[in-house]
This record gives sequence, C-alpha cells and structure tokens, in this order.
Amino acid sequence: MEQKNNAKGFSLKSVGHAIGQYSYIVVFLIILAGYALTIGMNGNTFNFRHIANILGSQQTVIIGTIALGMAFVIITGQIDLSVGSSLVLTTGACILVFNVTNSIFLMVVAALVVGALCGLINGLLVGLCKMPPFVVTLGTMLIYRSLTLSVVREIDPAITGSSSSQFAMLSSNSSYELARMKFGAGKLKLGGNFSIPWIFFVFLAMAILFIVISRNTKYGKSIYAVGSNEKSARLAGINVTWVKISVFVLTGVCVGVASVLQACKISNVTPASSGQSYEMYAIASVVLAGVNMAGGRGNLLGVIFGAMSYATINFIITSVGLSVDLQNAFQGLVLILVILVQTVGPTIKESFRAARRKRSVKA
Amino acid sequence: MAILKMTHISKAFGGSQALSDISFSVGEGEIHALLGENGAGKSTLMNILTGVIPADSGTIEFMGKTYPNPTIRQMEKAGIAFVHQELNVINDLSVVDNIFLCREIRGKFGLIDKKKQFAEAEKLFRELGVNMDPGKMVSELKTGEKQLLEICRALYMNAKLLILDEPTTALSNDEIAHMFGILRQLKAKGTSFIFISHKMPEIFEIADRYTVLRNGTFISSGDIKDTNAHAITSDMVGAQYVDQEVYKPRELGEPVVTLKDFSGPGFRNVDLTVRKGEIVAFTGLAGCGASELMQAMFGALTPEGGSIRVHGKEMHGSIVSFMKNGVAMLAANRKENSVVPDMSILENFYLAEQQISKGRKPFISKRAEKQRYDTQKENMRIKAGSMHDNITSLSGGNQQKVFLGRWLNIGADLLLFDNPTQGVDVGAKEEIYRLILGFAESGKTVIINTLEIPEVQKVADRCIVFYEGRIVKEFAHSEVNEHDVMLYSTNAAELNG
Repeated sequence: MEQKNNAKGFSLKSVGHAIGQYSYIVVFLIILAGYALTIGMNGNTFNFRHIANILGSQQTVIIGTIALGMAFVIITGQIDLSVGSSLVLTTGACILVFNVTNSIFLMVVAALVVGALCGLINGLLVGLCKMPPFVVTLGTMLIYRSLTLSVVREIDPAITGSSSSQFAMLSSNSSYELARMKFGAGKLKLGGNFSIPWIFFVFLAMAILFIVISRNTKYGKSIYAVGSNEKSARLAGINVTWVKISVFVLTGVCVGVASVLQACKISNVTPASSGQSYEMYAIASVVLAGVNMAGGRGNLLGVIFGAMSYATINFIITSVGLSVDLQNAFQGLVLILVILVQTVGPTIKESFRAARRKRSVKA
Repeated sequence: MAILKMTHISKAFGGSQALSDISFSVGEGEIHALLGENGAGKSTLMNILTGVIPADSGTIEFMGKTYPNPTIRQMEKAGIAFVHQELNVINDLSVVDNIFLCREIRGKFGLIDKKKQFAEAEKLFRELGVNMDPGKMVSELKTGEKQLLEICRALYMNAKLLILDEPTTALSNDEIAHMFGILRQLKAKGTSFIFISHKMPEIFEIADRYTVLRNGTFISSGDIKDTNAHAITSDMVGAQYVDQEVYKPRELGEPVVTLKDFSGPGFRNVDLTVRKGEIVAFTGLAGCGASELMQAMFGALTPEGGSIRVHGKEMHGSIVSFMKNGVAMLAANRKENSVVPDMSILENFYLAEQQISKGRKPFISKRAEKQRYDTQKENMRIKAGSMHDNITSLSGGNQQKVFLGRWLNIGADLLLFDNPTQGVDVGAKEEIYRLILGFAESGKTVIINTLEIPEVQKVADRCIVFYEGRIVKEFAHSEVNEHDVMLYSTNAAELNG
C-alpha cells in the first residue's frame, strides 16, 4: 500500500526508486566494470578506445536498432521472430541496388522500402487476418531467409558481388569508399584517443526518435494502451488493428536501417548464416531493458543499454580468451540473472519488511 | 452459537491504519451482511480471515478453535471458502473438472476416476437443487451459473462458512432469485455466509444480521429486522449523506439522435428519438440487448440494418468517427473495458481525446493535458493524489469519475453510460447521479443503461424497457416504478394480455 513519504525517508527512497526504474543502467555499468577489470588483468589500461569499440559493435548498432522496433512490438503485447531473416533479405536487396546503381541514396531507399514491406506483410497477417504474431512471424522467418538463399544462387556473381553465395558490396563502385570506408568503418575524431564510430550516431538518432515517439506522441501512448488493455484501448477510440500493423512496419523500417549499417560495416551478408538468432538477441535486449513481455510497460531508453550490455559481454569473453562458442551461454546467463533479481528481489525485500514489522509489533 | 469470532482485529499498512479494533462474529446458519463503502476495510478484514494477510493484533476463533497465525491453507481446511468477485473458475475445463481441480478422485494406477467424479458432481448438484450438466464446458456457462459453480465447489470442500463478495453484480434477477433459493436451503442445513454487497434490497431480502464498517472502524451491528435501509446507508457513509430527491424536469431541445428501424447483434427494429438535454434510461433483464444497442450507437458494434442519425448526420463506421461527431460511451465493466491498468490517472484520462486530435497535433502538450485534467478533476470532484499515480490506486467511484472526465474532455454532447454505477459505493453513486443531472442541465444528452430501477427513478426523464432486443414499453418519469418495469422486462405484461 502506498503511503506518504516522510521528510527523512524521502531522499533515500527516491534514490532507491530511481535505481529500480533505471536498473538497466546499473546492469550496464556493472558489466562495463567487469570488462575494465578483465582488460586490467591482461595488463592493459581501459580507455576510450574500448568504449568506442562497444559503441560501434554489431551487437550495439545493428541488433540495438532492430530492438527498438521490437520493443514497440512487445509493448503492444506481440512478438516478431522474423527480424533476423528480414535483415538478411533487406541487406541482400540493398547491396544489390548499390551494386547495380552505385547510389548510396537508392541503397538506403531500397533498404527502407523492403524492410517496411517485410514488416507490412507480418502486420497485415496479424492485424487484418487476426493470426497469432508468433505463428505469422515464425512463418515469415522461414520464408524470408529461404527466399534470399535461393535468390543469391541464381543471380550473376557480377551483380551479387561474390561467387560464394553471398551479397557483397562491389569495391569497384565509386561510392564504395564513402559508404564502406568513410562511413561504415569511420569514426568521429574528438581529439586524442577519443573517437566515436559514425554508425553509432545512426543508432543513437533512431533511439532518440523512438524514445520521442514513445514518450511525447499520442501515437506512442496508443501503443502502450493497446498492450495494456486492448478492449479499453478500442473503446477509447484507438484503432487497435492499425496500431498493431504499424508497429510491425516500424520494426521493418528499423530492420531497413540496420541493413544499411550491416552493409556499410560488414560490406556483405551471407543468407545462410548472417543474422542468425538476431530475433532472440533483440528480444533479450528488450527484456533486459525492463520491457514487460506481456505488453503495456517498458522504457525505450533501456533498449540502448540493453544492447550495449550484450555487446560488452562479447568483448569480455574475447578479452579473457574464452571460446566464442560461449557467448550465447553468457548472454543467456546474464539475462536470467538480471530478470531473476528483478522478480525475486521485491519478494525478498517484502519478507524482510514483514519480519521487521513483526519484531516491532512484539517490542 | 457463533461459528466465527474475530475480536479486536487491527491492521496497519505502513503508516495508515486500515482496520482498528474490529470485532465481528457470525452465527451458525446465519447470513451476515458485511457492509461499508469501498475502502471501509471489508476486503482487508476478509483477507485476514482467510489467511491472505496477517493481522497486527487480535484473535480469530473459528468453530471453537483459535488461529493465531492463520494461513490460506489452514483456513481453507478449517472450512472457510472465499467466492471472489472475479470468478475463479477455469473456462477451458468442464464443470466436473473444475469441481475436482486439485482434489481429483483417483482410481486405478493413480489415474482420475472420471465416472466417480461425474457421479459425485451429479449427487452434489441434486442435493443443492442446482440444474447443471457436469460434463458441460465452463466457457459455455452463463455468469450466474459460473457463480453457482464456485459456490458448489466450495461446498464440496465441506465449507462451513462462505464469503460471497458482491455475488450478484453480474447476475440477472432470475439468476439472483435462483441463487438466493439455494442460499436459503444451505442456511437451513447450517452453512453460514458472509455476504458483501452494495445493493440494499438484496441485503434486506437475504441477510439475517449485518455489520457496518467505515474507514476501518466498527460502526454498527445488529439484526436486519430491527433496522432499515436508510439507517444502514447513514451508518455506511457517515454524516455527509442526504438521500435527497435530485431530479428536476428540464426544457428539451431539438433531436440529437434518431434511430430508425435500427437492428444489430442482440437488438432489432429500434425506433427512438432523444432530444437535447434529455436523460433517457434503457432497462431490461441482463441480455435484453440494451447494452448492445448502446455499443452500436457508439460504433463499437456493427449494425445490421436501419439507420442512426446524430445531429442530423447519418452515422456509420468507426468509433472515432462517432467520437468526432460528439458521441461518447462509458462502457460497462470498468475493469475490462475502461481501465488501462499500466497507465497513470492522467494517461487514462487523456487517451480518448488524443484519438481525435492526433491528426492535427501528433505531439503531447503536457501542460495543456494537465490543465484539462485539472478542470475535469474539479468538475467531477475526483479524489486523487498525484495525476501520475497509477489509475488502479483509485477507488471504484473515483476511477469511474476519471472516465466520465475522459468523455467530457472530448467535448461530447451525447453521452451513453452503460451501467455507470457498477462497482461504485453508495456515496459515489449519489455523486454520479448528480453529475448526470448536471450534464443534462448544461444541454448535454444522456442515455444510461441500467438494471437498477431506483437509479432510473433518480435521473431519467423517461425509461425504455427492452425485452429480447425490442422496445416493449416506454414510461415517463412519474410512471416509473419497480413493479411495472419488471412486468415488462420479463414480458409478463404480454402474457397477462
């Protein structure tokens, strides 16, 4: 039961409250401290370069961007399992367009359009045909990847840019230098050791956009309302079907942006193996951000930290010399630990409180 | 002889005293009405009794045994069963599976002996005079039957004392009569009941004794036959309550809504015109189609024939298009259809208005929203702390006022209220009636759908009775009385010729 704070307890309580609300930042800082420790143990000093590596890593920017859309989908009480596959499809499409046209602009347009279309297909099946999102996106997950895989083998290697069943940006194109080297691998130099990868700014811009949508727009509120109580949302005048479709399309747009980053950072995509399990990493980042899987609740700011936390875990594993095969194990472990603390924590706290009450009653 | 004695029970949550020094007893074969407004402490007291939360002090004695630290299991075993307001039956299992859930009768190899369970269930129903097929899926049962099923399940566990928390809210009058018949029969066999309800006529019909709580303190207790509804209501709400006649006739304006041969799921061939400043009440038995008609008048259900004109404009399409034309609907079942549980009071308040204005202004202006909330908060006299508190922190009455405010905030002038005083305590009910009359006074048009005739008498200019989806009778304000309305609601008038 809620009660009024007395003046003494106020500051301590509100600090505790803030920590509870922004626990994802605490989690990230702990993991970051762990990383700094392992680097120290290797005899190196932790510096800004390491942070820049985290900011520009695939985990942060590509999965982080996808996770933003995923967060919206989950807040409406749905799920999208197709993002890893549609990333492959979209990246393939945008690399093709780049190879043929040598235009970065058209490449970006292609990525956004194809991504949005992938999302629209999911959205229409879920929203209009009332099919369960889990089933629909499981289906499209299989379809999107398999289509890309079959297409890459049919197309002339001169256009796909590679003869080994992958799409690769043609380095002979004149725009290659700008897209791949200056942007994809480039950094904003802040002087000395300080620099931030350009692609991180794309992720940051997307994150800010999504935070603003979720907090400051009427559309954003309707996303939360649909996830919290669909019936009430409908009777308050919200077009529930449209909201459900729209979050899938937005996720598709996120995948489109992520595929441009993938193209520019990695320069290629392999339909058989790229983007594998990305849907799971994205969902994990969203959960780590404190978004309720049942819908209705969650803070988009957390997604930035959720994605960075996972990126940092990967760096820790590499720096202590463990096998890359263990990455998933550690990510899973951290996910379970964090959620365990979040679920069990309040229960333990309450039992302590009850015990204290009992004692004070007896005394 | 008292079967239950709770003495000097106190309970504090943090700094606030939820119960102070409550003593409460129930006799064998007694139906004891536990009364009080929302927040009076009834739920806390019952939660202590059933072992959900521990009391800070006081003793509980049940059937001669004291329980210093009762747990849920202990009290269940002792024979106390809580039939909750939210039904706890499992829809996807059969009736018999629900009864034997977690205490299945085992046969060979530890497998469930379905035959024996079925026979036991039939025997139980026969003894209780309940007419229900044990093999039926619970999802196919009506609400009233589900309620009876829960009671039967409790009785199968040999419950000696049943706590019924507002058991009749979702039931039709027939179902209530049926349930009361069964309660009387059980009472004769020595089963005791604690009966929590806000409906006065019901309490006087069924209860033997009563206890009134207010703000966590004991106010009064005694035999029902020695008191009257007015005295109990005064005890419940304290000094501020005056049961005054609030109704005043008004000058009516031009037609606001016109239905012609309007049909849809659950209602047929409705012709109706309602004028500016008028208050019309729909009534009838549960399932008479009035609620569905109201939903169709808001675009929430698709009509199947006929036409609806609002402000002279023929309407069809989505809820938002109705809202834009000044129609608002406060849905029945607040928890299910109005509350957005993860959102704050303010967010719940502004959600509907934003659906109209989001095209023009997609961004939220916090200051403007707060200003509008404050206006309605004052109009509705909403008792709430911070507007950023969760909506569920408010009492039922105050939640309902927030939703009234939600609809006034869209500037609607045709207000459809489906069962507006459901789950609202007596004091808040009176306030809602006064608000409704105030809306009409200021030129808004109100239609309420209610099953409670006293409510109709309090506010409505005229009352329209529905039977199986059709209008069967219209009463003017002065003609409304419980007997005649019931005559037409049950279609008894037709039978008598």
